[in-house]
Amino acid sequence: MAERMRPAHARAPAGETADGAGHGAGHGNGWYPLMLSMDLEEGTVAGCTVLGRDLVVWRDAGGQAHVWDDRCPHRGMRFSLGIVRAGMLACLYHGWRFGPDGRCAHIPAHPELSPPPTLRADPLTAAERDGLVWVALGDAPAHGPATGVSAPCVPVRSLAVDAPAQEVARAIGLPAGSRAGGLDRDIDGLVLAAVLPVDRARSMLHLLVIRPAGVGTDRDRRRRVAVWGQDLRDRLEGAWAAA
Amino acid sequence: MTDLVLPDLVLHDDVLDENCYRVRLFLSLLGHRARTVAVNVVPGGAQDSPAFRAISPAGILPVLRIAGVDVCGAGAALLVLAHESGGHGSGTWLPRDPAGFAEVAHWLAFAGGPLTAAVRARRVFLFGEPGDRDGLRRQGAAALRIMEDHLALRWLDGRPWFAGDGPTVADVALFPSFALCRDWEVGHEAFPALRRWMRRMRARPGFVTMPGIPDPGLF
Repeated sequence: MAERMRPAHARAPAGETADGAGHGAGHGNGWYPLMLSMDLEEGTVAGCTVLGRDLVVWRDAGGQAHVWDDRCPHRGMRFSLGIVRAGMLACLYHGWRFGPDGRCAHIPAHPELSPPPTLRADPLTAAERDGLVWVALGDAPAHGPATGVSAPCVPVRSLAVDAPAQEVARAIGLPAGSRAGGLDRDIDGLVLAAVLPVDRARSMLHLLVIRPAGVGTDRDRRRRVAVWGQDLRDRLEGAWAAA
Repeated sequence: MTDLVLPDLVLHDDVLDENCYRVRLFLSLLGHRARTVAVNVVPGGAQDSPAFRAISPAGILPVLRIAGVDVCGAGAALLVLAHESGGHGSGTWLPRDPAGFAEVAHWLAFAGGPLTAAVRARRVFLFGEPGDRDGLRRQGAAALRIMEDHLALRWLDGRPWFAGDGPTVADVALFPSFALCRDWEVGHEAFPALRRWMRRMRARPGFVTMPGIPDPGLF
């Protein structure tokens, strides 16, 4: 399935490498591509799982993306079921609101109470780059996520794949240990592919088309990339289930 | 939205039943009110009582009484309501052009076919109905993936609904199974296109939730 493509990391601009997003992959350290930026609309909340760790991803009204562990410190309810209210993440269970810094700022049952600073969620290091929302796990990252892509990326789709992330990465031709990089897809042009390890057996594959300067992104091109991703997923799952 | 007067609408309803929600949701989106008759399914088993079987011979819910006829099952009730709503300002719920109508027919059949695995999975997980837990969960998730793939491509075509150019009765028929899939332990994370679509559905005037679907209006 990799016969029609080759990794485009050779095209990466100086100072960036296509596997820049994959440093420390073996230890869980590094940047992980959680979702397409377009799938995190302002004022919305999503759940995400990385290496079996459940996370909540939410975007405040100012457009800033936040990534926390998916557990309200009050009663352990999933934050990802919550909503964004007044620029804060509100837990669905009792409506406790937590600000971008993670601190609890409002308890509906006791509106007069100023919650103690110890009552807080722990924000993880998040970033947005190349049309993707990223989180850094493990050691504090020395630099932001890097895909080696230097042109604007236009989202195509994300696909859930019931196969390990390293199998997906290998099938699309990413260098070992890398989670994202540009692929040269002949008539479809350059494609940014990013792979999220959900757990040992499941992953998410994010696909975007890279728009070179002065070249429009036509519908057919994105459609072909979407169908290719679907095809790849089905073949990978078939091979993985048979193994 | 209340331009259409449908007197004597009666819905035999179970508030926890996914198929009943399909019809409650559509009634609300259309701006209709129905008198509801609660059917005690869990734990009462009232769907098997002679009184209910006299209305719904196969014991299926919901039953919508409209124009003096008892219409049994969500698919039939949705179709009748969509048909009734045509030409009254909300005709897009059932497109009249051949392609749009064909697409709606396709997805209504899907909702009444492969997607019933999702409905059954939820009953097994939530109400302890007998059934193959893992098998139904797998089949239900496979049906949701078919929906996800369809909508991912439709979105690229600038057509974010399941059929036609706007929301149709097909969206109403499909929506509850995705909105409720966490009840049978399938998360929303793997279905970003369906999540986008769900947000659009939730933004429709008249949208209502049911237990199991978070209601942001609560606080």
